[in-house]
Amino acid sequence: MKRQVPLVLCFLFGIVMILTEFSPHSDSQELYKEVGRWYLVITPFAYVIGVMTLVQVHGTRIRRRAEYWQYSYVVFAGMILMVVVGMPTFLNQTPFFQARGISFGLQSPVFEWLFEYVQVPMEATTFSLLAFFIASAAYRAFRARTFEATLLLISALIVMMGNVPIGDYIWNTVMGETPWTDGTSWARQWILDNPNLAARRGIILGVALGVISQSIRIILGIERSYLGGD
Amino acid sequence: METLGIWIAAFLTLCIYSFLYRDNPFYRFAEHLFVGVAVGYGIVVQIHQGFIPFAWRPVETIISGEASPMDFIKLIPIAIGMLFFARLSPRHTWLIRYPLAILIGIGAGAAIPNVLQADIFAQVRGTLTPFSQLGTLGAGEIIGAALMVIGVICTLTYFFFSVEHRGAVGGLSKIGIAFLMIGFGSAFGNTVMGRVALLIQRVDFLIEDWLGTIF
Repeated sequence: MKRQVPLVLCFLFGIVMILTEFSPHSDSQELYKEVGRWYLVITPFAYVIGVMTLVQVHGTRIRRRAEYWQYSYVVFAGMILMVVVGMPTFLNQTPFFQARGISFGLQSPVFEWLFEYVQVPMEATTFSLLAFFIASAAYRAFRARTFEATLLLISALIVMMGNVPIGDYIWNTVMGETPWTDGTSWARQWILDNPNLAARRGIILGVALGVISQSIRIILGIERSYLGGD
Repeated sequence: METLGIWIAAFLTLCIYSFLYRDNPFYRFAEHLFVGVAVGYGIVVQIHQGFIPFAWRPVETIISGEASPMDFIKLIPIAIGMLFFARLSPRHTWLIRYPLAILIGIGAGAAIPNVLQADIFAQVRGTLTPFSQLGTLGAGEIIGAALMVIGVICTLTYFFFSVEHRGAVGGLSKIGIAFLMIGFGSAFGNTVMGRVALLIQRVDFLIEDWLGTIF
């Protein structure tokens, strides 16, 4: 019951998804759609596990007065604020909120305001912070001590310079007397379209073969680590 | 409301940038608020776009008495999904294996045909198609097509660990490393430019939008 049934379920649903994909029969396509619908129904419940874990972790931090436990209240405050504004759409029909022009849900102005002025700026700033750290990482990675590191350095430099107008400006100033113009952006595009794409295709093909073999192992029950212990 | 929003966004932006000096309470506040707000947003989206249309509506139809016998089948995935709550009881935690096994089975089953089509057939086709048009290609494009085949084969050889990388295989593998390094370099260059663009956008926001409300 604890291990065999999940393995059988995994096998059945995996096989159904493979077979129905290749069968154009209307019943088969219906079954494919129905299984897809099951996936959409079950997935939101899986999200609950993630939220429960987050609440547990921060609840424990507060209870044990762990280091920086006060900030766990900020996590809860942010989460509750978004949920309170975004969830209760049924309140939109109540005369109290209608009279005051207050609405709830994904399209409510307050929810959109929170998204636009709180979430988006923090997300963009956090990612832009990496510009500083990536520069120090580049200094360590790009010390061209080997042939491979030199290739990495040169291709990165060409791609970066080809991305900004100053790259072509420098090229056109230096090579002003020659018929070749905008050489930096041309070199960038050539690198992206040829050696870069070749390497990416090699990686994609390798990853794809790995995904297929791992999927077969999961469906056949050879790979069962997702079941955990016991 | 817009001015207040700009001030809050500017405050949170500066809180996060304060980390460039060192870890401090302002950064930790913004970091934790970001986690909370992002999770809250995720919950709301999952509820409105996942739970309500796919799980709650069928239940509503059944409660209202308008359901056909086939509609009762829609309750099965809801019941299976609810097994995730078994995690709350240590004795019944094993029950979450049922919905997990179904999700993993569907994911694995859907991955095989999709990956075959999108990642294997499409990539091989893209690599070989230029050779079917050799007569119409210029010298540069022929060199590019040949380079592509050599690059793909050498990169795959580098990842082929069933054979020792010696002799011809070792040589191909070394060429594969060169292609990979150029690929990683250009990926790094693109990432840096993307992050710098975000930085410029944030600085532009602070100077134009935020300082614009003061001066």
